[in-house]
Amino acid sequence: MTESVDTRVDLGGIALRNPVLTASGTFGYGTEFAPFMDLAALGGFVAKSLTLEPRSGNPPPRIAETPSGMLNAISIENIGVEAFLGERLPELPADVVVIASCFGTDPGNYAELAERLSASPRVAGIEINASCPHVKSGGIEFGQDPRLLGELVERVRAVTPKPLLVKLSPNVTRIDDMARVCEASGADAICLINAVQAMEVDVESRRPVLSNVLGGLSGPAIRPIALRMVWQAAQAVSIPICGVGGIITPEDAVKFMLCGATAVQVGTANYLNPAVGREVAEGIAAYAARHGFPRVADLTGALRLPGAP
Amino acid sequence: MTNSKPPVPSRPLRVAAEVVENAVEGPGNHRLVLAIPGWPGAEPGQFVMLSPGGSSEAERTDPLLPRPMAVYRGHAAAPPGGRAEVEFLLKVAGRGTRLLADLAPGQSIRLVGPLGSAFVPVAPGKRAILVGGGTGIASLYELASRGTEDAEVHVILGARSDGDLMGVDDFMALGVNCHITTEDGSRGRKGRVTDTLGELLEAPGPPAALFACGPTPMMHACAKIAFERQLECQVSLENNMACGFGVCLGCAVPVHSGGYSLVCRAGPVYSADQVVWEGLS
Repeated sequence: MTESVDTRVDLGGIALRNPVLTASGTFGYGTEFAPFMDLAALGGFVAKSLTLEPRSGNPPPRIAETPSGMLNAISIENIGVEAFLGERLPELPADVVVIASCFGTDPGNYAELAERLSASPRVAGIEINASCPHVKSGGIEFGQDPRLLGELVERVRAVTPKPLLVKLSPNVTRIDDMARVCEASGADAICLINAVQAMEVDVESRRPVLSNVLGGLSGPAIRPIALRMVWQAAQAVSIPICGVGGIITPEDAVKFMLCGATAVQVGTANYLNPAVGREVAEGIAAYAARHGFPRVADLTGALRLPGAP
Repeated sequence: MTNSKPPVPSRPLRVAAEVVENAVEGPGNHRLVLAIPGWPGAEPGQFVMLSPGGSSEAERTDPLLPRPMAVYRGHAAAPPGGRAEVEFLLKVAGRGTRLLADLAPGQSIRLVGPLGSAFVPVAPGKRAILVGGGTGIASLYELASRGTEDAEVHVILGARSDGDLMGVDDFMALGVNCHITTEDGSRGRKGRVTDTLGELLEAPGPPAALFACGPTPMMHACAKIAFERQLECQVSLENNMACGFGVCLGCAVPVHSGGYSLVCRAGPVYSADQVVWEGLS
């Protein structure tokens, strides 16, 4: 029955065999997961955010567990764009859809990164990380100011012919405004939400649990917030939405699709279960079959609101 | 650095394991025995990630993250199509380990492993001194058991008190030289493991190589002694980690070669002189 379901979706021009991506920063450069599953079982994956030069992260402690979630403040530790293109990308099987994530401190950094990444035929799309909640400069500065965000998206749009995704921050008052800015500035799709800015304290030592003091909260704890924001963004724009935030089960993913997401990203759950992406993809197809949807794409926006039949 | 080469670890698997036994061995101490289908075997010093939230029919997301646990015994691979029994030693320290301690035979638990680097084996002709504090001794058992043929092996097992000691009989049964220490003197020699280590190093014998696993201050003390006496010293570090296979980047420790190293992937076993001990949390 599941076999008869068409699982393909189109995320802003990226043809995906199923709607499940794995989220940047939770899936390394892909090969780390090869022992646990066939990477081609995913719709695709978003690689760890890249900077122009290799970057070392924050001092420890960098992570902490919280109720149904975790805090992290890694700070975009990565191997740099050159090593990614030269060493990591060639290691990936040709049938794996790879989306590259860019991080910078000014629009020029982002554009240069996007340009270099776009030159590779193995890069299926570009995701702008405009939302990392725990770096001193860059990222979230853009994601919290509609004017800066618009300028950033336009700048990157001008240099890449590839499908352009923007990963949005939940740390804003009006997510619909940010979504509209992305659409107006040429983004092909938006991904939301990134981690929620948060902190935690150790009462015995009276110290913050993270060396960075502030971190990003992820995991099931943020899922209802993410769902609300995807729903609001879906009312505001017509470009596709990729729903992200605390997805662990296929049913979690289906909720995002019902609220208007075309695809989803699985993040923190990759840590608990390195095969979770494949299981969520299979489970979405099973859900569609069980509920009589011939295509999983039909789940997008299929929420039944109060008063509707 | 050591002369021997590190072993090549097996490819990890992700699987549901069945609890065979969960024996209480002292206050808060548990010996957890899991039957693991398709277990590829492990090298001395390697660990697995166990998900306390994924340990019953009613899965929970709180606590969310899996816990790293050193493989104590059961380093041989399962027979083709079969299961291997693998033992872990754990001490209840928080909610995650409490849930692991409450597992009953027949229950299943999600596991990812084996993970991480392994100890470089004891070199022939050396005097190997293994120093274990608390549950840190779990990382040393297989090393002790493999190292007995052509090297002199000493194991120093230390804990705060007699009730905190684990696995003493297992180590005794290996026929290695066992030295027990407790901080309160309730069993063995009263004092710290480093007191006994100092005495052993004063005694005449072949050149010593140290292998340490336990609380960070204990390993740091061993590293200092090794540095002062120009001895090889390998340590197996502990750290919080969310994944165990190199993607969450949460378990970073500062290293002298620059930047940070991931305990889950480059470690947990390090040469003690690689680690910037002052930078450990």
